[in-house]
Amino acid sequence: MNEMTTMAELRDVVLDPAKRRHYQLAWLSTVDHKRIGVLYMVTGLFFLIVGGIEALVIRLQLAVPNNNLVAPDTFNQLFTLHGTTMIFLVAMPLLFGFVNYILPLQIGARDMAFPRLNAFGYWCQPFGGILLHFSILAGGAPAVGWFSYAPLSETPYSSSPGVDYWAISLFVLGLGTISFAVNTIATVISCRAPGMTMRRLPLFTWMNFVNSFLILIALPVLNAGLAMILIDRQLDGHFFLPFRGGSAVLWQHIFWAFGHPEVYIVVLPAFGMISEIIPVFSRKPIFGYEFVAASTVAIVVLSSLVWGHHMFTVGMGRALDLFFIITSMLIAIPTGVKVLNWSATMIGGRIRFSVPMLFCIAFLVQFLCAGLTGISHASAALDWQTKNSYYLVAHFHFVFVGAIVFAMLGALPYWFPKMSGRMMSESLGKWTFWLWVIGFNMTFIIQHVLGLYGMPRRIFTYPDIPGWGWMNMVSTIGVFFMGAGTLVLVWNLAVSYFQGKIAGDNPWDAWTLEWATTSPPPHENFLALPPIHSRRPLWDITNPDRPDPIVGDDQVDLPDHNKTGVLAFLFSEVGFFGTLILAYLYFYAHPQAGPGPKELDLPRTLVFSVCLFASSFTFWRSEVALHKQLRGSMLGWLALTIALGAVFLGGQASEYWKLFQTGVDLSTNMFSTTFFTLTGFHGLHVLIGLITLLIFLWMAWQGDSAFAKFDTAFKCVGYYWHFVDIVWVFVLLTVYLLPLLR
Amino acid sequence: MTTYQFFTTAWTWNSIGLSLVILSCVAYWLAFGRQGRPLYFAGAIVVFLLAMVSPLSALADGYVFSAHMVQHILLVLIVPALLLLSLPRSFSLGPPLTYFNHPLIGWIAGVGAMWLWHAPALCNAAATSRIVLAIQTTSLLIMGSVFWWQVLAPREAQRLSPPAGIVYLFTACTACSVLGIILTFAPVSICPVYQQPVDRLGILSIIRGDWGLTSDRDQQIGGLLMWVPMCAIYAAAILAQMARWHSSPQPEQSNA
Repeated sequence: MNEMTTMAELRDVVLDPAKRRHYQLAWLSTVDHKRIGVLYMVTGLFFLIVGGIEALVIRLQLAVPNNNLVAPDTFNQLFTLHGTTMIFLVAMPLLFGFVNYILPLQIGARDMAFPRLNAFGYWCQPFGGILLHFSILAGGAPAVGWFSYAPLSETPYSSSPGVDYWAISLFVLGLGTISFAVNTIATVISCRAPGMTMRRLPLFTWMNFVNSFLILIALPVLNAGLAMILIDRQLDGHFFLPFRGGSAVLWQHIFWAFGHPEVYIVVLPAFGMISEIIPVFSRKPIFGYEFVAASTVAIVVLSSLVWGHHMFTVGMGRALDLFFIITSMLIAIPTGVKVLNWSATMIGGRIRFSVPMLFCIAFLVQFLCAGLTGISHASAALDWQTKNSYYLVAHFHFVFVGAIVFAMLGALPYWFPKMSGRMMSESLGKWTFWLWVIGFNMTFIIQHVLGLYGMPRRIFTYPDIPGWGWMNMVSTIGVFFMGAGTLVLVWNLAVSYFQGKIAGDNPWDAWTLEWATTSPPPHENFLALPPIHSRRPLWDITNPDRPDPIVGDDQVDLPDHNKTGVLAFLFSEVGFFGTLILAYLYFYAHPQAGPGPKELDLPRTLVFSVCLFASSFTFWRSEVALHKQLRGSMLGWLALTIALGAVFLGGQASEYWKLFQTGVDLSTNMFSTTFFTLTGFHGLHVLIGLITLLIFLWMAWQGDSAFAKFDTAFKCVGYYWHFVDIVWVFVLLTVYLLPLLR
Repeated sequence: MTTYQFFTTAWTWNSIGLSLVILSCVAYWLAFGRQGRPLYFAGAIVVFLLAMVSPLSALADGYVFSAHMVQHILLVLIVPALLLLSLPRSFSLGPPLTYFNHPLIGWIAGVGAMWLWHAPALCNAAATSRIVLAIQTTSLLIMGSVFWWQVLAPREAQRLSPPAGIVYLFTACTACSVLGIILTFAPVSICPVYQQPVDRLGILSIIRGDWGLTSDRDQQIGGLLMWVPMCAIYAAAILAQMARWHSSPQPEQSNA
């Protein structure tokens, strides 16, 4: 944003046209984590307004009974776009923007571990957002709800390309999110400042670090599901088409196996913000750092065990319902621990009721309500009554708006001074706060009642039932308060950016490292880092006579960031292939008429598999040769690796060809759909590996000068190559060898 | 027979098992004496008896798949953990056994104990043959101990560091969850013996009738037990690792 140094530089060079052009392009070509963070936030804010307008139209349509402001189909498109936009294009980019800007500063890093990957992750956001909204011009937006239940989302029932745009857009956004998580993990593990041990991480950093693992667990599952539904729609597969042998419930399992962790993916960064702001404005260190940190880990572990509570009404059976009830109630414990810790931090503190703190207090109250209605949903019996009613709508808006949006609205004035060098206006901030508190509670508290009165969600209008009319009207009026609050916020941002009070380095007397540098920070973030021995290094500086207790020893181990990054990426690939293999097994257990595993040529495949496994060995030899600086030997082994990989791909291609010859293609039956999907994605990974290896071969062939440098990079490619081989072990076992047991 | 009669009479005290338990108690006392931590050891023995002698064992013996799963979890996760905790802090492995002290071997042992014994053929064999059952029980105890050694070894230096321990436990939890998910949703019987039990004790009517435990639902519960409560055990262990990490000793205040 208004980077003072950059502005000064600009004035100096204003007459140099070349540099000026560069400056104009700089925001587009930037790889600086601070600028990317701001870009993320601006994108998120833009889509907040888009999604907000969608919400406004929805509420206007529902304001009075028997309304016909919008047509039923338009209404369906609106709530689909609203949900998808708010989660994937507002909550995630806004939160990731904060993380991008603040996290490297908090650990004293110069930038994210992979700046260019960071830029890639960001540009996926606007690209995905445009793809999603382009569907409006391309024949109709998706009208299937944000979870896009099958079979409604399949071609026979949704023939316009809306769902295709929805799936591709989410796929693109998912790739961006995964790259962001990989980057965050590598940054935290490999780019910390001296003395910043893992035990001393600020809670915002810790929670986002742990959260990145959750992203790597959950997002690949969604991506696998999206790939399946695209295959269904574009290549005539039938994963989720019941009348062709597919399973609509499988989509629900896949979607919610992603969808429930997704709630925590967006709420954990918000928890992180709260955990930073509350101590600073209570003038006390966080109460029970260890409990807040450990409960985050507990949430991540438990959150992948609870998705079934979205499916109580599907008829999963009493046993499944019971287990999901228990896990869903269990997850309230670590969340409750956090609320207690935040409250205990405030007790006995000298609380400053500045705007960031006001939002945090509102967060605590509203999040508590959200949690309580959440627990009520964990009970299957109650869930059967309230499912898909406005009670549910009210619940998740309390989570997403009452908790997450409020945390971000608090974090914005908290960190804005660091980003811009200027304070945001307190009085305008209080206007935003009260408008949002009143508007939010007006809109959503009454929706609980509406839901209990039986109003279902996703209806475009309703008859004039006593009570419904005025309650909906109240709900709609609340939206205008929130809209007005947002306008004040935008006005506040604009005014403060140009005329706000100069902030100085540390306007809030906060204790984490981001406040140790100038506001805004210079391009390289820090000129010099303070000594770090505790969790509050800046407190130790200002209070040398009573520093915080030293936490652990100062020893910091920083593994190579390339290796960390590649391993994190491969961790996400496990989820992707795991989902595909489980889907294969699911349909393998229900054999259909037509082609099956017996069509496959096992002995031939075994030969080609040996080639693939041998390529792992030859790659290892090539690595050893590189280590010993034997260029010729390295080139030879590498070429052999590529040749073996190519032979394997050739074998796969000939198997496909043979199947095509006998009239078996992807659309024949469930076996062919799952077989081609699973082996196809594996083949694609082999192909990408081969291209990477060819690039290395070419580089090694070209020059000796760079030769010595790619030791680590070569090892990382090796990780990928070996991983692809290991995946094939599992594919071979499930697809080719399992039928032998029958 | 009623449910009450079943739970009071179906205790299978067999002499070999009991003498082994008594022998191991004596051996424990002789080996460690006052250095040991007998409460943990007593816990291990009680859980072991619960798994092998109580009506649970009678149910697991070809009747109820989910009872077999409880037995399995107790033997592979609870008993070995308690056994390792009962060792004196000074205990360490002799030279030939240190070979097992590698995280990858521990991980494969822990996850393998789950996957291997649920291959239909092996699962069936263990539920029908006494000898296979004895082999299974022994192997579960050993594999469980090898698994837990990485996080519960008596000497701090032999354990994984807490962050590595968390990764170790979490990946093991995921690998077992996948098996649990497969068992839960599999439309075919993983362990066909339990589908048509040979009714030696005359309790099948109680199980199918009074308890309403059809063979499908039985397998589903079995899968869910492997998936959810087992993950809860791993989750508890992960939290214990967090606690261990954050309570590791403070350095001297030299920097202050």
